[in-house]
Amino acid sequence: MDTLSRRRFLQLTGAAALGATAPLLSIEQIAKAAELRPLPLGTPIVVVVTLYGGNDGLNTVIPFKESAYYQSRPDISYKESELLPLGESLALNASMTGIKSLWDAKKVAIVRGVGYPTPDRSHFSSMAIWQTGSPVSQISSGWLGRWLDTQVNDPMTAISLGSVLPPLLSGKKQSGSALPLGGIVVPTGSLALNCKKLSTASRSDSKLMASAATSLRNLFDLSSTITPILKQPAPASTELPTANGGSAGGNSDLQQQLDVVAKLIAAGSPTRVWSVSLGGFDTHANEKGAQSVLLGNVSDSISRFMSQMNLTKRGKDIVVMAYSEFGRRVKGNASLGTDHGTSGPVFLIGDRVNGGFYGDQPSLTKLVAGDLAVTTDFRSIYGTILEGILRSPAKDVLGTWSGRTNFLRST
Amino acid sequence: MDLQRLETARLFHRFGFGPKPNQFARAIKVGLAATRAELLNPPSSDSGINSLPEPQFSDLGKFPPAGTPERVEFSKQMRQQRKDLTLWWLDRMALSENCLSERMTWFWHGHWATSIGKVEYALPMYKQNQSLRSNALGDFSIQARTMILDGALQYWLDGGDNTAGAPNENLAREFMELFSLGVDRYFETDVQSVARALTGYKVVRSTGEVTFNLKKHDSNVLSFLGTSGTFTAAQVSDFLVSRDDCAQFIAERIWYRFISDTVPLPADSAIKLSFSKRDIASAVRAAATCKEMSDPQFSQVKSPVEWFVSLCRALAITPSKLSKPDQAINFLDKLGQLPFAPPNVGGWPSGEAWLTAASAQYRLQFAQYLLAQGDLSPLKNISRASRLNLLSDLLGVPYWSSRTERVLLGVNEDPARMFLLAVSSPEYLVSL
Repeated sequence: MDTLSRRRFLQLTGAAALGATAPLLSIEQIAKAAELRPLPLGTPIVVVVTLYGGNDGLNTVIPFKESAYYQSRPDISYKESELLPLGESLALNASMTGIKSLWDAKKVAIVRGVGYPTPDRSHFSSMAIWQTGSPVSQISSGWLGRWLDTQVNDPMTAISLGSVLPPLLSGKKQSGSALPLGGIVVPTGSLALNCKKLSTASRSDSKLMASAATSLRNLFDLSSTITPILKQPAPASTELPTANGGSAGGNSDLQQQLDVVAKLIAAGSPTRVWSVSLGGFDTHANEKGAQSVLLGNVSDSISRFMSQMNLTKRGKDIVVMAYSEFGRRVKGNASLGTDHGTSGPVFLIGDRVNGGFYGDQPSLTKLVAGDLAVTTDFRSIYGTILEGILRSPAKDVLGTWSGRTNFLRST
Repeated sequence: MDLQRLETARLFHRFGFGPKPNQFARAIKVGLAATRAELLNPPSSDSGINSLPEPQFSDLGKFPPAGTPERVEFSKQMRQQRKDLTLWWLDRMALSENCLSERMTWFWHGHWATSIGKVEYALPMYKQNQSLRSNALGDFSIQARTMILDGALQYWLDGGDNTAGAPNENLAREFMELFSLGVDRYFETDVQSVARALTGYKVVRSTGEVTFNLKKHDSNVLSFLGTSGTFTAAQVSDFLVSRDDCAQFIAERIWYRFISDTVPLPADSAIKLSFSKRDIASAVRAAATCKEMSDPQFSQVKSPVEWFVSLCRALAITPSKLSKPDQAINFLDKLGQLPFAPPNVGGWPSGEAWLTAASAQYRLQFAQYLLAQGDLSPLKNISRASRLNLLSDLLGVPYWSSRTERVLLGVNEDPARMFLLAVSSPEYLVSL
């Protein structure tokens, strides 16, 4: 799992370097230009950040007081003095300064030990389980895809950045849209007319043919609403660009994805679910350096995004969820890395979030088959997102699952 | 529905990369049995590609220190080699007369999905590609034995870091899960034992040469999947491949890529039975002959490479001879499928994942770029009224819906526009 979410870079972000006093986007102006149906202010928005490859939770939220931590991974452990303390004898990886500031402002919930029953250490099975939201039986629709099925048909409701749609947004009746980072260029003139005719439904279409026709039709539907917005500058950020984590320099891919999301949210895109991703977490070898660059990237990108959003009227509406398909082994391997493990922390970030720890920290000494125990089922987090943020019945998506992790502020 | 046309089109598009001009019309004339027999028996020398020169990849050696002039030159050569490698393979796909061998190499590349994104050097990727090609229709146990010690795959899955002291499980797990048995057909303790058996191998990154260091190999007696003993990598591979689960798994993968990515492999499928001796050609023959091949409900989506190569074949395009071939590579990357760069060790996605609005726009632009350089004379040289039927055969499309037929007839004065809309139509994006 090296490059699952590595996607092309875009030219858009060149416009992002605005001063703090620069005017924000005028939603009305863009709405008019793009014939938008802007999302009503105050409508909660979910941004899902998928970390592909299996992030090592023990070197993300670090139990620095436990001797078993150092004994299990002497070469790839962190000392207390290197870390960002969170309380409860846990600390964040030093590269995550942006998320630490949000934590200090009580805007970060860290749910510990998240997974599902009978952990599957395969990237693909485990990611499929998280994305379909179904640990027990194999199904083909994604958890947010099933939520989409309960909504009015609209390609703008859920959007994933990148040209391939992740399974989590795939529904039975409708799926989310994929948006390439470079924006959309559509044909005009007579070719546009031809294409529109070509994309109409035909009675003889099979399911796949109908999907092919829909993809072409969505290109025109989406482009008429999104393209004008992408030409606008991104909302200014109060954060200075950071040279954090020894990153290879320049923009991270995740940051580019979130910059586009920021623009579109600021412009009033009628979108309630966004999906972005970052790959490279499969750190079987030389983990420390690689993981801290990635975590720094996640932290910087998310804190920059939140600060962009806080300059708009929609800052309060946003909840970010960051997860990975599994955590890694407690014990390090010979290559200064870790192999596939089980549970890991999930981050929820935003004004609506009641900051703090949730779920029990898995014990490092009472392991289950050599791995961390699962103390919170991910469906409990999904349940709260569905009911508390998307304001929809969870049973349409999760069936009878009744667990909830109450990480939201009471309103 | 004309089932002969349907099955002929499936043979061309799934077991090859689409017809060259005249191939489809001829196949309809000679009938299904002859078409299938010809397709499944590729000649030892393919007149379409036997004159293509083999690319020469020098050993670039280690990365020079960053910031030096040597590094700049090195990076330039590395980029050039990667580009040459990609275009060389795309040329083979586009030019071969009987595509089965290239198609199966493509299938196995997606199976043993190794990415140049991590390997970086072209030379080991080229060697892996040649290994896959030489066994693409041969004995799977030989293929698996070759691949477990393949330099690019070893490097990709951290094989060189796997030592007796504390094994790295990456290669062991993926070898069982994705290459030989399938997920959940082993236990965690089996992964750990197999990882120990695979210790002690080291890769020279720039060449893909694999060496063995006995001192770093775990020579203890190991137990996994009901066997125990001491094992080399080749012995591990032979043992895993000999299991019934391997026949089941490879049959499932063939079914998934050639017949259906939504319906599971039927319990009594001939594909698995034909694979009892691990003969790949027999399993592929069983797939190409199965009854679902003529069942309209078993349609599949063409992946971006399949779509692109089939366009090249219809337009008599040699990818490396395109003006600015970098653009073709760039389009494939944007569409999410560049040869030698699968997104992860599980290979590329399938089905509806390719049918997004984002890919629709790139396909339109890509097709326009190709059309500007392709040979449209077959369409231009006939009357307007005959163009639709010719286009069906040229592209190997079994039938058009009334919607698409209406659109195509509406532009039949303009062969380029007609072609562009045809290759953007649902009937072409899907192998019906």
